[in-house]
Amino acid sequence: MDPRAWRRFRKNKGAIVGALLVLFVTLTAFLGPLAAPKDPDLQYSEGLDATTGLPVAANAQFRMGADQLGRDELSRLLHGGRVSMQVAFGATALAVFVGLAIGVATGFFGGVFDTATMRLVDVLLSMPFLLIVIVINQVFDSPSLAVLYVLLGLLSWTTLARVTRAKTMQVRELEFVQAARALGMSRSRIVVRHVLPNVIQPAIILGSTLVAQIIIVESAMSFLGLGVRPPTSSWGTMLHDGVGFISNAPRLVLLPGALIVAAVFGFNLLGEGLRDALDPKS
Amino acid sequence: MRSILRASALCWAVLLLGCKEPPRGPRYRGDGNAHARAGGTLVVHHEADVRGLDPATSYDEVSQIAIKLLFDGLLDYDYELNLIPRIASALPTISEDGKTFTFHLKRGVRFSNGRELVAEDVRWSMEHMLAPSTSSPGVGFFSLLVGLSEFAEGHSPHVSGIRVLDRYTIEFELTAADQTFLNAMAMPFTYPVPRENYAAHPTDVARNPVGAGAYTLEEWEPGVRLIFKRNPRYFEASTPRADRVLYEVNLQRESAFLRFRNGDLDHAHRFTPADRLFLRRSTQWAPYRVEGSGGDIWGLAMNCEMAPFNNVHVRRAVAFAMDRERWSRARNYALRPIGQALPPEIPGYSTTLSSVQSFNRARAREELALAGYPNGIEAPVTMWISEGATGTLYAELAQADLRAIGIKLEIKQVSFSIYLQQTARAHTAQMSLAGWNQDFPSAATFLDILFHSRNARPADAENRAFYRNASVDALLDRARTERDSVLRRNLYEQANEIVTRDAPWAFLFTSIRIEAYQPYVRNYRIHGLWSEFYRDVWLDLPRQRVAMRAAQNPWRNLAALMPFGGL
Repeated sequence: MDPRAWRRFRKNKGAIVGALLVLFVTLTAFLGPLAAPKDPDLQYSEGLDATTGLPVAANAQFRMGADQLGRDELSRLLHGGRVSMQVAFGATALAVFVGLAIGVATGFFGGVFDTATMRLVDVLLSMPFLLIVIVINQVFDSPSLAVLYVLLGLLSWTTLARVTRAKTMQVRELEFVQAARALGMSRSRIVVRHVLPNVIQPAIILGSTLVAQIIIVESAMSFLGLGVRPPTSSWGTMLHDGVGFISNAPRLVLLPGALIVAAVFGFNLLGEGLRDALDPKS
Repeated sequence: MRSILRASALCWAVLLLGCKEPPRGPRYRGDGNAHARAGGTLVVHHEADVRGLDPATSYDEVSQIAIKLLFDGLLDYDYELNLIPRIASALPTISEDGKTFTFHLKRGVRFSNGRELVAEDVRWSMEHMLAPSTSSPGVGFFSLLVGLSEFAEGHSPHVSGIRVLDRYTIEFELTAADQTFLNAMAMPFTYPVPRENYAAHPTDVARNPVGAGAYTLEEWEPGVRLIFKRNPRYFEASTPRADRVLYEVNLQRESAFLRFRNGDLDHAHRFTPADRLFLRRSTQWAPYRVEGSGGDIWGLAMNCEMAPFNNVHVRRAVAFAMDRERWSRARNYALRPIGQALPPEIPGYSTTLSSVQSFNRARAREELALAGYPNGIEAPVTMWISEGATGTLYAELAQADLRAIGIKLEIKQVSFSIYLQQTARAHTAQMSLAGWNQDFPSAATFLDILFHSRNARPADAENRAFYRNASVDALLDRARTERDSVLRRNLYEQANEIVTRDAPWAFLFTSIRIEAYQPYVRNYRIHGLWSEFYRDVWLDLPRQRVAMRAAQNPWRNLAALMPFGGL
């Protein structure tokens, strides 16, 4: 990376906060299950208050209290991040790959292929996302996690493709690309050596904000009951299940909610920081 | 940046200080009238919407609440669930063979359009409901009427088993003596309607109801509210009741309860767990809180035709594995654990069956071993549930209980219509979370429908466990025709016991209804059969505002927002 970019990034407090949040959330998600004190799916009868049936508050046995079925909230939080993060990273990786490939190809080659692909993008952009998810959920009657992120990835590459395409069209006309062409370099070599390095930066930036968006979508889907299957925990489902207890045990909403906010906020700040650092002109 | 901080600080301040909690107890009390008086508007609500107001076709709970205000039938139930005459002058006389029922009508009963209700109206209304073109969901309850199939197939213009003897006398003849016919005759399907109203509204009669009930429909703003006005022509018009009933629909639970606590709604029912707990703990609301049985039964239906549940020991193991007390606790005690096929208020409920299906993990493991699975069942079992958070909660409870005895449960959540369709097909759903609400207070609506082999059809089966037992069938068939109520109860008790031991369902619980009303709402009682039965309510007006301390503590709100605050 350009050392000047790194300096700009370090100076940007928002970006550093974002990076720390991302680090925190990612570590929680991937190492959390190892640190979980209890089985997240085991329902303890002492986790529910004997007279009211409400989940017990934090105590020595349940360090962040229990959830509505008497399961250990802390363990569920530590396990739940993995689903959200797996989906977010998996879907984003797929979206960035597809978006970059299509964006560069359409931008570089242009013509009928470009027009046709961009109309497809228009169609995809015009479809309400959650509606598609609901339909898919009815078609595959219990979609696995993999289906979920492939679907999310395949639906969210469009913006990225458009931005990459515009940038490619711009780069394609620059002198060094023309020089390479004049020197007889093959098209694929031009794309890999000269075009890609120049369009990868907006892709990284968009990718990091896309992670944030997908985390929200995953939790929205879990909230609508379309996400992971019980008893597997995810932050979104935990938020959903806690809503009924918002006045008696607000932590059931606030804790997973705070983690989702941290993740989304972190990735957004990081994305903006990366944009300011890598692409100061825009 | 600073301005953003300042703005957000202001927002928080408004949020914390401005959230005015509703009063802890009732805001209004009654005037203290000792005798019932007429007048006032009763304001009630429901979270769902009224679909239609045609007693022949509108068979959902919310519509029925409104139908009970607008219509009356020959028979009804008192609050103790005894059959009583309503438009009939007395309970019918039954012939020696138990197949013919003769009803005499009260004289001078009028529809709200002013016309007198006579026996011919009863006949027309019944035949209209039974006509295939009406496609009423109630036809099945009257399948034993003589001449019904000729009528349904169009060979006869009338049902020969329904005979008008004179202006005020009507007779029904059945092909077999069936005691549940009286229960069927108390269902809204039979409520007399004026035929001229059907002629005037051939397509939208469900929106323009005319009946012989205590109220008439004054206004209907679809999806928002219905206003019912006292019917001055009602045959019991001298009984004092509210002038109007304002029925707000599509009201969300949380906001409905807040409005109730603020005195804007007169009756509250169906709560979130938090609100239910508040109400149960509140001493100020205690005199105005009522609890009653839900008249339903919930359990895990196990398909007796599919492995592993074709083995009775596996089914018993599941029934023993369910920690019903824990289920009740997880639902904040809004349900009563049960281990048999009938809820307690239904004749046939047995007091000696308590250990047959109860939580006993050791017995569960023994039964599994007897079935040949000493180490649990390897292949996962799939349980079907329909959409909704409560279903998921129950599914997770079942998952945990079964996991403890070594059965892995997978959950298949589908839309309600798919759930109904698929669980009713043979060899489709291994297990399903099932509930059944009484159609009328008789064991027949539970045992006959859920466990009689005639209902274990290849498709559209109500016997979703596909349970077949010839001795249960025989007991149920005998009970239906038995006229002596003690003997009948005895037969149902025997059938209940066999079903409970054979465990086609792991019976789990019956729900508890909890409701509250404003102090000035008088004579409201939970009816064992009709949900939210408002016909007999009168209002003790003018209501008086109760003086209250201004207990505004913003820190309470703040504490509630803290992650570990509250409980």
